[in-house]
Amino acid sequence: MKQLEAARKRAEADWTKLRESQPLVMVGTATCGRSAGAVEVLNALAVEAKRRKLVVKFIEVGCIGSCYSEPIVCVQRPGEPAVVYGNVDTKSAVQIVAAHLGNGEPLAAHALGTLGEGSFDGIPNLWMQPFFRPQVRRVLRRCGFIDPRSLDHYLATDGYKGLEKALSMAPEAIISEVERAGLRGRGGAGFPTFRKWRFCREAPSEQKYLICNADEGDPGAFMNRSVLESDPHAVLEGMIIAGRAIGASTGYVYCRAEYPLALERLRASIADAESMGILGNDVLGSGFSFHIEVKEGAGAFVCGEETALIASIEGHRGMPRTRPPFPAISGLWGKPTIINNVESLASVSLILQNGAAWYAEVGSEKSKGTKTFALVGKVRHTGLVEAPMGITLREMIYDIGGGILDDKPLKAVQTGGPSGGCIPASLIDTPVDYDSLNALGTIMGSGGLVVMDEDTCAVDFARYFLDFARQESCGECVPCRLGTTQLMQILEDITRGRGTPSDIDLLVEMGEAVKKGSLCGLGQTAPNPVLTAIRYFREEFEDHVLRNRCPAAVCKEIISAPCMHACPIDTQAATYISLIAEGRLAEAFDVILADNPLPSVCARVCHHPCEDKCTAGKWGKPIAIRALKRFATDAAKAAGIYPDKKREPRRGEKVAIVGSGPAGLMAGYQLARSGHDVTIFESLPVVGGALAVYIPAYRLPREQLADDIRHIQNAGVQIETGVTIGVDISFAQLRERYRAIFIATGAHAPSAMRIPNEDAEGVIPAMAFLKDTALGNEISIGKRIAVVGGGNAAIDAARSALRTRGVEQVTILYRRTRKEMPAFEEEIEAALEEGVRIEYLVAPVRVLADSGRLEGVECLRMELGPLDASGRRRPVPIEGSEFIVELDTLMPAIGERADTPFLPDSIEKTRWDTIATCSETFATNLEGVFAGGDVVTGPDTVIEAMAAGKIAASMIDRYLRGDPVRRSYSFVRPSLYLPGVTLTDEEIESADRPKMERIPVSRRIHHDVEDEIGLARDQAVAEARRCLRCDLETEHACEALRRQAGDAP
Amino acid sequence: MSEHIKLSIDGLEVVTQKGRSILQAAGEQDIYIPTLCHHPDLKPAGVCRTCMVEVAGRGLVISCKTPVEEGMVVATDSPEIDSVRRTAVSLLVTNHHDDCIGCAADGHCALQNVASYVGVTRDALNRLRRPTRSVPVDTSNPFYDRDMDKCIVCGICVQTCKDLVGVSAIDFAFRGYDTTIAVPGDKPVITSRCISCGECVVRCPVGALIPKSRELPARLVKTICPYCGVGCGIVLGVRGNRIVNAEGNRDCATNAGILCVKGRYGHGFVGHADRLKTPLIRRNGKLSEASWDEALSLVAERLATYPGDAFAGLSSAKCTNEENYLFQKFVRAVMGTNNVDHCARLCHSPSVAGLAQSFGSGAMTNSIAEVADAQCILAIGTNTTAAHPVLATRMWAAVQRGAALIVANPKEIELCRWATLHLRQRPGSDVALMMGMARVIVDEGLHDRAFIAQRCEGFEELQKSLSHYDLDWVEKTTGVPKQKIAEAARLYATRKPAAIFYAMGVTQHTHGTDNVLATSNLALLTGNAGKPSTGVNPLRGQNNVQGACDLAALPNVFPGYQKVTDDAIRRKFEAAWSRPLSPTPGITHVEIFHAIHAGRVKALYSMGENPILSEADANHVREAIERLEFFVVQDIFLTETAAFADVVLPAAAFAEKDGTFTNTERRVQRVRKAVDAPGDAKPDWRILCELAQKMGVTGFDFSSPKQIMEEITSLTPQYAGITYERIETNGLQWPCTGPDHGGTQYLFAEKFSTPNGKAQFKPLDYRPPAEDPDEQYPLVLTTDRSLYHFHTSSMTGRVEGLVAAHPEERLMINPIDARALAVADEELVEVTSRRGNTRVRAHVTEICPAGVVSLTFHFANAPTNELTIAALDPVAKIPETKVCAVRVQKTGA
Repeated sequence: MKQLEAARKRAEADWTKLRESQPLVMVGTATCGRSAGAVEVLNALAVEAKRRKLVVKFIEVGCIGSCYSEPIVCVQRPGEPAVVYGNVDTKSAVQIVAAHLGNGEPLAAHALGTLGEGSFDGIPNLWMQPFFRPQVRRVLRRCGFIDPRSLDHYLATDGYKGLEKALSMAPEAIISEVERAGLRGRGGAGFPTFRKWRFCREAPSEQKYLICNADEGDPGAFMNRSVLESDPHAVLEGMIIAGRAIGASTGYVYCRAEYPLALERLRASIADAESMGILGNDVLGSGFSFHIEVKEGAGAFVCGEETALIASIEGHRGMPRTRPPFPAISGLWGKPTIINNVESLASVSLILQNGAAWYAEVGSEKSKGTKTFALVGKVRHTGLVEAPMGITLREMIYDIGGGILDDKPLKAVQTGGPSGGCIPASLIDTPVDYDSLNALGTIMGSGGLVVMDEDTCAVDFARYFLDFARQESCGECVPCRLGTTQLMQILEDITRGRGTPSDIDLLVEMGEAVKKGSLCGLGQTAPNPVLTAIRYFREEFEDHVLRNRCPAAVCKEIISAPCMHACPIDTQAATYISLIAEGRLAEAFDVILADNPLPSVCARVCHHPCEDKCTAGKWGKPIAIRALKRFATDAAKAAGIYPDKKREPRRGEKVAIVGSGPAGLMAGYQLARSGHDVTIFESLPVVGGALAVYIPAYRLPREQLADDIRHIQNAGVQIETGVTIGVDISFAQLRERYRAIFIATGAHAPSAMRIPNEDAEGVIPAMAFLKDTALGNEISIGKRIAVVGGGNAAIDAARSALRTRGVEQVTILYRRTRKEMPAFEEEIEAALEEGVRIEYLVAPVRVLADSGRLEGVECLRMELGPLDASGRRRPVPIEGSEFIVELDTLMPAIGERADTPFLPDSIEKTRWDTIATCSETFATNLEGVFAGGDVVTGPDTVIEAMAAGKIAASMIDRYLRGDPVRRSYSFVRPSLYLPGVTLTDEEIESADRPKMERIPVSRRIHHDVEDEIGLARDQAVAEARRCLRCDLETEHACEALRRQAGDAP
Repeated sequence: MSEHIKLSIDGLEVVTQKGRSILQAAGEQDIYIPTLCHHPDLKPAGVCRTCMVEVAGRGLVISCKTPVEEGMVVATDSPEIDSVRRTAVSLLVTNHHDDCIGCAADGHCALQNVASYVGVTRDALNRLRRPTRSVPVDTSNPFYDRDMDKCIVCGICVQTCKDLVGVSAIDFAFRGYDTTIAVPGDKPVITSRCISCGECVVRCPVGALIPKSRELPARLVKTICPYCGVGCGIVLGVRGNRIVNAEGNRDCATNAGILCVKGRYGHGFVGHADRLKTPLIRRNGKLSEASWDEALSLVAERLATYPGDAFAGLSSAKCTNEENYLFQKFVRAVMGTNNVDHCARLCHSPSVAGLAQSFGSGAMTNSIAEVADAQCILAIGTNTTAAHPVLATRMWAAVQRGAALIVANPKEIELCRWATLHLRQRPGSDVALMMGMARVIVDEGLHDRAFIAQRCEGFEELQKSLSHYDLDWVEKTTGVPKQKIAEAARLYATRKPAAIFYAMGVTQHTHGTDNVLATSNLALLTGNAGKPSTGVNPLRGQNNVQGACDLAALPNVFPGYQKVTDDAIRRKFEAAWSRPLSPTPGITHVEIFHAIHAGRVKALYSMGENPILSEADANHVREAIERLEFFVVQDIFLTETAAFADVVLPAAAFAEKDGTFTNTERRVQRVRKAVDAPGDAKPDWRILCELAQKMGVTGFDFSSPKQIMEEITSLTPQYAGITYERIETNGLQWPCTGPDHGGTQYLFAEKFSTPNGKAQFKPLDYRPPAEDPDEQYPLVLTTDRSLYHFHTSSMTGRVEGLVAAHPEERLMINPIDARALAVADEELVEVTSRRGNTRVRAHVTEICPAGVVSLTFHFANAPTNELTIAALDPVAKIPETKVCAVRVQKTGA
């Protein structure tokens, strides 16, 4: 004990001297740092310091946990706060030496934060950074701040004080202290540590063993490794204390051989502790003896299970055995044995040092203390985190984790690794503690948190985790060996589009049986990922098995290519792109036309969901698919190609379509081609509905629209304009004259802002303004215009207003920030270019009117509050921030509603006034009457309306043929496979998404001048060649290509 | 007293013993709980999960591993149990390649049974995915096939191989779905150390392990294995007049159902085409078929011309007790001489001679079943896993229970894998080794003073003689480091009960009797005699070598070791047999051939022996036989020896007759007829009766072996209490002195069989082997046995699988010697001794120490015994087949 006291004094003095005598540079060289290049950075720092003849002390430390900022370097000059730098490379290392060490000026651009007293301009305190602020660092407190190979550093930072205390206590008193602290096993199951210890203590045996389970094997988990690499003595200290408590004289650390650095540091630390008398016979003169041996495991996941681990130490194949007897009664070599996780043991030294009360200060009622987590997946800030038990997942993901990458919506979080389950976004306010997680069907596990965004397929991620458990199953018991494989095969089938409707129930049934029937924890938890995925994402499973859809566009055998799968009308994007890449433009247009009678329209106004799912966009920029479509369409039309599609023989069934918008036109075209006599009734004098009256002509020139409509008419569709149902023909007459009716009248009724005076003169709905503009009606809106809203309609209105005579200033008022704005990015940019002002975080609260005439609008400033259910932060008004905008015209563009006064009461509607239809078949409650598009969904996109028209047409066709009106779902498959292209090195080097050019702002003064300039041929071909050709990765494609190759001479 | 536990199973009140599992408790009440991985011989594995039951308050538990507790309420069925069970079984069935029709296990498949109990339906299975893996059937083993597509990975075979047989040829391999049972490297099973005992095959609950011979028997006959002296109970499966298979008899105390490869698969010789079907008579130098009448008349006529000591008979350790009794009766009563012996002379005569001196009686002192309870086992000069495989499994059981196993053997035999210590003494240095151990025991005061004082004599003399055995000298003589000798001595002296086992490695020496005495000295010193799981236990080589000795196929005694020189005894037999009997002891096995050479013996009758291959210095034997005036051979095959006979009499094999065998632990067991002998072949007892009658002698009119046994028991005190009725299901161990005597599990519990009842210590002098290596013959040849063959292979050589498993002779030679001789593995070499030479392929292996080579004597085309020396032990007259000097040379072709 005396020897330790002296050593500690010396260590403390050295520790102080170390920081006061010379500049200190600490480099995180744990495995994580090394893989990011920390060793090279350390070299670069040292070389540069030497070159500059600077006297600097370098220390290799462990990891502070912010993986996203590796390699990490901490620089401290005597008397100054330390600065922690992140993402240091050899180049910035040189800069850091020059600036900070050389000139005493920290490099703010690379700094993560400062540590200690004092501050530097422009560098926040590290602990105030979002990643660190919510954390409570106890187990990790030394990680990254001491040299893990130095016993002195450990002693200088209160190391082995817990042991000193423990040696003065009776073993039972140690156990009671741990009991009061409320420590539960950090390995995952959360069994009260003291209880296990007491069983063992009371077991009658001369020989007992303690085992530290360092067999961390979950994918994405590295908590234990970090602690072992960064603070190994903390684990040894906990082991000695635990050994004393349970009456063991021998301890084993069972650590996988894949952790060479941890093993090396453990062994060195054991040797140091032995030479100091902390380990060995007569620990610190207390009369208690304790020896620690390191056992290397071969990396079998099942060896994390207590009994399998014991078998492995005994030299057998790592197979678990049935409990009881529990290891605490009969474990290693048949003797009472306690197995504790690394983190539990590291916590034990803290509890003894600081007392149970201190330990239990943080945490939730039934889960005390802190827990380390490995936060990985689609979050900005991945890393090793220590937080109080009971922290919510939301805090974990959005505060510590900094939110989802690319601001995509959160889908789910997997806790507990492959033994755990997922928690959907809707439940992320769940506190993270043992019992709350169990209630959701998952487990805490050792603390892995894998964050998933909407691009993650629920079936696929369940498959991923199950596959791990399946491969790691020891194969001993039947349910685990065969059950996990069976589950896996079913999931595999589902992801390949071979699932059957009963498979989902089978998965649940089998999963439950595997849980109940398996011998050890591996099998008992292996089905969790599947069961929770089904519990929270059953619909997604059903999409796969019932509808051949993978909403996340992940399961390639179902989707063929994400772009094709994402297209609501099944456009073969990959096919026409590959044709463009070969310069076969006419064929490309043919492919476009095959599924889309409105190519000119979609080439300009489609919101291109294809591009959102484009695989190229996952690592770079997505392929400019819409621009390619426009290129092919323009090129074909310029060459005079616009082939009529073949019609089926006429059959004389009469169909009426009400409304000539995208849904009506699509339905009419499809029905006409199927041989039916189709008449579209349009109340306006122009054809095209929203396409003709809401989308400004500078975006969709009317002659382009006319080309597509002509094509549709050529297919045999009759269009009668100026006919209003309910005025010119009654709905009843329509039903008498036509065997089937498709209602596609859209949504036109403006939504109210629900603020005072909104009926004042000068408040014009944006859609009304756009329509008047489109129809060439006389408009007078004054000089100062404001548009309320953030969608495409708001931008269209604002940009159209700019093009209206007399207008001087156009302002958009939007209550969130640009990040949340739903309008197309390029449209917002064009608006800004043209001089539209956008006021973000602003909400109108009152229309100011004088004698019924608009004078302005009073607004409130907003700030973003907590997240709402959609994962977006909710705007919250700032009190007293009122301000007034003076205006001549105010245009609300906050959405429209369906407007169906012409329909009889007998047709069923929803409470939003939309027509109620069967979601699958679009049939209304009236025989032979179908409805689709915005009149059913409320305002939506052009392509969704077209999709509705297409589906409704096929349902009407079935109805007319007397077939059961039922959807059938097939895989999206290209009609043609072209082999991939090989890019030259230069091409690869220069490959980038082309920017769609616009005409200069100065020329954008007319409504009807198209502002976007299409791609040039070489641009288009280069872009098409950039396509990753996901369509070729399916079995179907491989087979087709093989056949083609075989056919070739 | 075992504690009783009361519990409820399915509403039924059940009382059972503490420590039982729920599964066992339910089984006792005939409550069925399905299982797939459970086997009563093995520890519960708990992996199939079908035996799951529900315990009130605890939920689902597996019944095979959950001990009963007072007041437990158990349900063996519930919807929850059903879902787990059904899932497990459905998964197994689905993964089973569904080939019931073509499966050998169809009808007795555990998976079928459980699936039908659980009610797995075709519809339920059709929802599941089919297996993705299919592996070809491994047909590499000559006796069984492995169809891993049918394997349910229950682990029964692994546990059987590891825990029961101690071989561990197979184990689990790979992980997850790929988990399978494999041999190292996942190669064909033939490449492994599998000993083909078939224990896994009989335990396989499904059709994954299937015997190659799949014919199903029409009836079953319980009898005794015809091979080694362990005397395993077997059940022959018979169809028509053919033996189609053999299983272990689980009711037999000797083996409790366990068999070795020969016992299970080695019966093909019985119905072999080579069997002798008619008597043969030598006419014009050639053996030709004859009728029984012709043959027996000829034999009767000729033998009548060689009465008295001009005649000698070789009886057979393979024949029944009854037949041995009749044979010696024929020699003594009909031929009027005591010149009768049998091959025990060549194996355990030193045991009889030695143990008779120290204990007063020469047989295995203890029982096979006791082996498992020994705390220390000294196995010296016994390659138990090869020669007595089933007894070896008991040794393994003892080792698993914590016993120390000391193996003393020049070769690194299989037994060494289980050994605590391996003492690798030079061939022939056993006396030095054991006396060295005795020296340590006495020097360290580890001897049992009370036992010595109460039950022994001659300790002082022994102590005096130990002074010659200075450990440094012992180390030099034996080549075993003295620390190891001391360690072995301490283990043997302190871990009690300790038992000694030995076989030919001890006896087949010119100092074989001394070796045996050395073992009994050790046992007596430490008090390891007259108690369970102790003793000195010679392991007898042939199925009825004990019985052949007991029934006096020996030149010096009447049945029951009653001396021929004892007038009272002789008078008893003369009265019983109504014939005058010779008071002069006859000559022994080797002496008979010397006597033939010397012209004193002119006619020889050999029943079931093959001395041309089995006798040391075989050339000398062959020359002797050629000198005979009349030679009768009675056998089941035309052996190498029979080829020289004047008359050959076709005998019935073990499965074709009734009778009894006495095994190595003195257990007299029933042998039963399963099939008819081929052609005109007859049981040996009947032939002997008919011959004697032909010679006009009375006392041979027996109509059944049972009648013969009645005569035996009336004349043989140690068999007195044995009747066929009493040994119907299980044998009795002699001494069994009367109808109320229950037999003797271990000898000398009260007193030794010496005249004064006290055991005798024997001081011993070390004598080197007769022939030491020299420059001309620099290597020591020692002989050994193969697991796959028996004796001269007249039986095993006619079993296809056994021949495939071990097709030809191999000379084991250490790599150091091989290198010095530039001999490669598999290379043909010539082995030469002063007496002969043979050509064999070399097997370069460290099993043999440097300087020692080893051969079996199973192969007629490589007659090892043409090399061995016929130097005899002065007391037991056994030749030293374990040590002779040889030279090994490369050959051209």
